[in-house]
Amino acid sequence: MELKIMKSNDIYIIDVNGEMDLYNSYKLKDLVIKMLDKKVNKFIINLNNVEYIDSSGIGALIFICSTLKKSNLHLYISNIRGSVKKVIELTKLTGYLPLAGTVQDALELLKKV
Amino acid sequence: MSKMILKDDNHPLFNTDQMFFKEFPSDFRQIRYFTLLIVQKAPPEIKELNLLEQQISELIKNAVKHGNKSDPDKKIKVWYYFSQEETRLIVEDEGKGFTKIDEWNDFNAKRQECLKNNDFEKLADYVAYTTEESDYHDGGNAMFAALEFWNEGVVFTEKANCVAVGKTYPKKQKGITIGE
Repeated sequence: MELKIMKSNDIYIIDVNGEMDLYNSYKLKDLVIKMLDKKVNKFIINLNNVEYIDSSGIGALIFICSTLKKSNLHLYISNIRGSVKKVIELTKLTGYLPLAGTVQDALELLKKV
Repeated sequence: MSKMILKDDNHPLFNTDQMFFKEFPSDFRQIRYFTLLIVQKAPPEIKELNLLEQQISELIKNAVKHGNKSDPDKKIKVWYYFSQEETRLIVEDEGKGFTKIDEWNDFNAKRQECLKNNDFEKLADYVAYTTEESDYHDGGNAMFAALEFWNEGVVFTEKANCVAVGKTYPKKQKGITIGE
């Protein structure tokens, strides 16, 4: 798994590439924690290039979502598809996780907050 | 009544007739590799991209990590059967067993209640099931998805160190229906 950070004004986009599994999902949590220390408050996690996710990956998304909610910060998760979408559906978290269709959709939503 | 994890030594899902068998050491680093060795037997039609692999991997991970505590001297045993109509899997470890099944079912029932009522604020307390043994890497959500995925059930033995799961697939209609 590779993590790239991009920026659009005050919104930070974390582009996740590869597989989010039991061996590497902690890296995404660690990165978000570091970004919180730097006072980032608007996040997009883009999963367009993620082909595989397991319960550790879902756990990372839950952890990030819950952490940001508690601090009244803002997050959208974009481009879930294929088996990633299926696992989120099986875990019944489509209503809990803040999902957006595309990065552009997420940017529009975050510009309003 | 929401879906539950069952405990039943005599459940038909524990019948190992016709099943393949493999035994693995409790090596955490090789969980996905062990899973691939098993899932390669599955017909492509039921692999659902990599969803079948992912669901099997969760059960192997639970056995290696939570059951055997990644102790290299302890083995996990896996029985598996795949066809275009059905998947069955049994995973056994040498651990003390998943002793908190009743607590988990209770937790899951509350979670289902939140989902039914679209109460996402309260759901925040039920998104992940964790115990004092959970660590930073545990998602705490694998069995919620397992109950949905394995439509024939998720069943543990009374000792709870062995789990059996099953899934059936709708028969593909061959040919076309010609109206009267």
